[in-house]
Amino acid sequence: MSVNSAETVEKIKSLIYKTCLYQDDCEWKSWLDLCSTDFNYAIRAYSPEIQKDMEYMGGPKEYMESITGQLRKHNIDDSPLKRHGVVYRVDLAEDNKSATSVTSLTVFQTLLGGNSSHVDSGTTGIFLVGRYNDKFVIDGDDVKFIEREVRLDTRRLDKGTHWPI
Amino acid sequence: MSARNHEQWNAQPKLQSGEWVDSKIYSDEEIFEEELEKIWKQMWIPVCHESELKNAYDFRTMTIAREPVIVVRGKDMKVRAFLNVCPHRGNMIERRPSGSFAKGTPSGTPKTMTCMFHAWQFDMKGKCVNITRKEEGYQDRLCESDVGLRELKSEVYFGGFIWVSLNDNINQTVEEFAAGALDSLAPSVNEEPLEVFHYHKAIIDCNYKLWHDTNCEFYHDYLHYHNRITGFNDEYFARKNTGFKGGHVNVGSFEVQYENYEGFHSREELSFPHLPANQWYMIDMFPGVNFNLRGSALRSDIMTPLGPNKVMIEFRGLGLASDSPKDRKIRIDHHNSIWGPFGRNLCEDLIAVTGQGATMASGSESRQILHGRHENETIHDENGMRHYYEEWGRWVGRSPSHPDQPFVEPAETA
Repeated sequence: MSVNSAETVEKIKSLIYKTCLYQDDCEWKSWLDLCSTDFNYAIRAYSPEIQKDMEYMGGPKEYMESITGQLRKHNIDDSPLKRHGVVYRVDLAEDNKSATSVTSLTVFQTLLGGNSSHVDSGTTGIFLVGRYNDKFVIDGDDVKFIEREVRLDTRRLDKGTHWPI
Repeated sequence: MSARNHEQWNAQPKLQSGEWVDSKIYSDEEIFEEELEKIWKQMWIPVCHESELKNAYDFRTMTIAREPVIVVRGKDMKVRAFLNVCPHRGNMIERRPSGSFAKGTPSGTPKTMTCMFHAWQFDMKGKCVNITRKEEGYQDRLCESDVGLRELKSEVYFGGFIWVSLNDNINQTVEEFAAGALDSLAPSVNEEPLEVFHYHKAIIDCNYKLWHDTNCEFYHDYLHYHNRITGFNDEYFARKNTGFKGGHVNVGSFEVQYENYEGFHSREELSFPHLPANQWYMIDMFPGVNFNLRGSALRSDIMTPLGPNKVMIEFRGLGLASDSPKDRKIRIDHHNSIWGPFGRNLCEDLIAVTGQGATMASGSESRQILHGRHENETIHDENGMRHYYEEWGRWVGRSPSHPDQPFVEPAETA
């Protein structure tokens, strides 16, 4: 791997970790600013129950901007989510103009209200597990997400969340 | 009077009998056990959809009132239901949620249900076809014909849903049980085969009836920004709540203005057959089933009560089996943008009932839960819940308002 390629790989890893931080902090605009205008987002899972691949949430960048922009109007569960990602692999295309990556993901939820805030607040549990399967476009020093698939193992999602993962 | 003291708080509401219920019906262990026996083990319960068992030898597993159930499609393509229990030593025969018996298992040969424990085998009609080392162990005292599976009543009805009853003596078909409550959507769901495209589950700390109540009453649309902005017009407020015999409720339709929610679009293009554009019907079936059609996507909620303060809700989304991949993608987006686990509305509903579950947990003080809104049986009238609880009282034999007293038919009270 050339020095330039190694730098690009590190840049990609850094971008992935930035998305975790931005999303943890509900900084949706900062998250989406890391994505190209052609960006597509999807949360998917395979269901052994119905033996089908499913898409729980998805849309282009414009749609994600729209729904995250309206979150303040919704009655959301304010229990913070923390994304623990470990980038397992980054693969650069031969022409160095695109890349893919696989990130192992665990999302923890620390209850604010829970069932009864008196009892539950401060309790942390695993909200979901899965992977980020990301794709990137590379233009010189500029690297942006073009696609993010959140591939879930978890299908029991209880109250769920309004927030993109 | 402003805030109230304990005595005032517990005083009978200034409402008529049947216009409130005692929260004990949501929290009491004894009442919950009675419900399992007197209601859940007696009724038709939809357990899955036929598209989940497309091929011969496909199966799905589930439970009804704690009883393990397996639904299989036979070589004759007929769907049958059995207790998922081996008659030998009570092991669960199949542990997976779904799959096929077409191939063999580590303990068994293809095309049979094999209990992995001692390799007893059963065919798709529930007949025992092999007892391992039968002669050595049972000589001529017991043979295959003595140990078939327990078959359960089953029917495929209403757009391909598979209904099962634990009650061998149930004297109604599903159609008779529905008593007309499903008719409003029958042309739309029966015109062509449907297919499940979405499944997820929630286990929530609340009584199953609280989730059913939320599906029955639309007054809670104040909870949903999406519903307020896409509804809340004269047509919305004129929607009718209609009760049907058996405790079922049908909420009439109106045209939803999806474009009013930024980023959302009309669903007209993919309306279910015979359904005018962007209509939204809701059917609530006693004791805890919901069918919800928003123009292009059908949702079903199937509840499995797990305790007085715990319920599992299985959410399914369905479209037309004939969908092109492009249409299916749009239909899935329509379904999940509102009803998915990351959708705009579903988590709001689940947060709300969790709050109810917390205040009505087992052992909590009884309180009165008001069902007394009268608005000419329209959308914010609470007649749907009143209708449900009248039927509930009939089956359990307890007054919903005074659960320690026997149920009395309303006509007799007057």
